[in-house]
Amino acid sequence: MSTPEDIERQRDVLRAKAMDPSRIDLSQADDALVLRAQNGDHDAFGELVNRHQRRVWMVCRQYVGAGEADASAQDSLVKAFTRIGDFDRRAAFSTWLTRIAINTCLDELRRRRREAIVDDESDGDEAPNRLDLLQDGAAGPEGRSMQKQAVASLLAQEKELPPRQREIFRLRFYAEMELEEIASTLDVHVGTVKTQLHRAVHKLREELGEYR
Amino acid sequence: MKSHLEEHEITAAVAGLELEATVEEHLGSCVSCRQQVSAMRDVIDARRGDLEAEAPDWERQRQEIMLQLPSMPTIRSSRRRVWARPLLAIAAVLVAAIGLRALWAPAPVVDPGVVSELPVEQILAEVDAMLADDSIPGFELLDQGMDDAVLDNGTS
Repeated sequence: MSTPEDIERQRDVLRAKAMDPSRIDLSQADDALVLRAQNGDHDAFGELVNRHQRRVWMVCRQYVGAGEADASAQDSLVKAFTRIGDFDRRAAFSTWLTRIAINTCLDELRRRRREAIVDDESDGDEAPNRLDLLQDGAAGPEGRSMQKQAVASLLAQEKELPPRQREIFRLRFYAEMELEEIASTLDVHVGTVKTQLHRAVHKLREELGEYR
Repeated sequence: MKSHLEEHEITAAVAGLELEATVEEHLGSCVSCRQQVSAMRDVIDARRGDLEAEAPDWERQRQEIMLQLPSMPTIRSSRRRVWARPLLAIAAVLVAAIGLRALWAPAPVVDPGVVSELPVEQILAEVDAMLADDSIPGFELLDQGMDDAVLDNGTS
């Protein structure tokens, strides 16, 4: 059985993988697949889908909600193949793809004439909570309950953030994008991303004071 | 060695922003500060876990995407643009040059040595003489008496 220290160490490793800018960079390997896909190689594009579909879905999830995320993600990836001839490698393939996903979601939102970032996330409660699945020996029922409340509070406070801060916060932590990638995708300076992210986290930490 | 990290430093660590070496060092050795960072990240991680639990079956999604793909991507529009732009520029320059040339072209020079083949002066003199002459053929009065009667009647 894992000790709390082991679990903490595993979490650190996972975080390091998620946040370390030097994490495995797939962009070079993507380039070869992109080249083949540009010549109509479906297998190559299938491999690109394998690599990036999770992030595309997570990005779509932030913009259009759980109900539409799957459809928007599929639409984005099909569009990516259709327009892959336009990809000029000035940015990483993942960045280009993320931009397509965001534009697809914004088109969908415009069509629906709804707010840019979905606020109604009550459906999230219906999904199984990962906290219940965590094999954290240190966290008893009380601890898990506290964390559930903290997560609910985080969600509520996220909605209070200014739209740009909320967008950057979610792309950073839920879509697990690097700062430079976010900047490139949103076409803003990386300094802006850092500032907005810092403000968002600061505000959330303040609001979540009793849980953190 | 710092006593404890400032609020903004904890925030930066949570956000995964670049930290100063002293902050990194302190974070490595101070359990209290590290706990503050990890507590917030735990909440964020848990939220991300909730979102991931909603994710579709990736293989099924991939298969559905593959079924929707066209046989070939569209032709590279960027390649077309590369050639189209200079061509359009050249065409615009040509049109402008032709237009300017038409505007600025000097009037055709008439050679003073070239004399008109028509005797213009003579023709004009003949016309003047004809107009001065009342007896233009075909317009003579048929009956001078009738002309006088018309004048007496006061009508024309």
